[in-house]
Amino acid sequence: MNEKYGEPKESIELSLPVNPAYVSAARLTASTIANRMMFDVDEIEDVKAAVSEACAYIIARAVATVHPVLTIVFRIYGDMLGITLTFEGERCDSGVEDMSLIMISGLVDEADVDTTEEAIRLSMLKKHVGVSFGV
Amino acid sequence: MDFSIKPVYDGEKKRWNVAVTGEVDIFKSSEFKDALIALTEQNAGSLALNCTELQYIDSTGLGALVAVLKRVKSAGGSISLSHLRPNLLKLFKITNLDKVFVIEGDETNE
Repeated sequence: MNEKYGEPKESIELSLPVNPAYVSAARLTASTIANRMMFDVDEIEDVKAAVSEACAYIIARAVATVHPVLTIVFRIYGDMLGITLTFEGERCDSGVEDMSLIMISGLVDEADVDTTEEAIRLSMLKKHVGVSFGV
Repeated sequence: MDFSIKPVYDGEKKRWNVAVTGEVDIFKSSEFKDALIALTEQNAGSLALNCTELQYIDSTGLGALVAVLKRVKSAGGSISLSHLRPNLLKLFKITNLDKVFVIEGDETNE
């Protein structure tokens, strides 16, 4: 995402255990950052939901090992928020059809999933319509 | 935030009126599903979910609702949702589940 949009003005990184109990922490962080960027209420809710779905997508496919970690990086590009979730480790097919990617595609402007043998990386971009974040 | 349900059975309409509060996400969706299924096992019929205090539901929560709907439908019932917040109604529309559940108060579906 850096290649396409240049260096972010600010980056915030969050590391969470691969544990559904902490997905709410990811939503809260996303909400705080989107609010800081002066996204409107609807945009903030979209960002929260997209991050939550992205976490669920990865958790469903991450094989539990010793201390598995989900890393979420929020990158602020002016009036756009880039969010990348990464899990590095053994993965598996979820075995069930889920709606996560369908929902993500309806909530953000860009989304991409990159899956390799060693990692799952899900990137999203949400553009703010309105006043730019100019700090 | 956790979720809670406050169910009241309407014997005349053979329907559970359920007020849902809090958040239903990947951490709590199984529990949510089990709680609704338990109601249908206690008294068969439809479910009317009042979502005034439902702050958030994710795809796993929607999946739980679909699973419960299959059970309810097999017994001739339905699931309706009312007072959904706009951001949650959006999730139903994105997934086309607004065509599967009865969503009350959604003027675009009329």
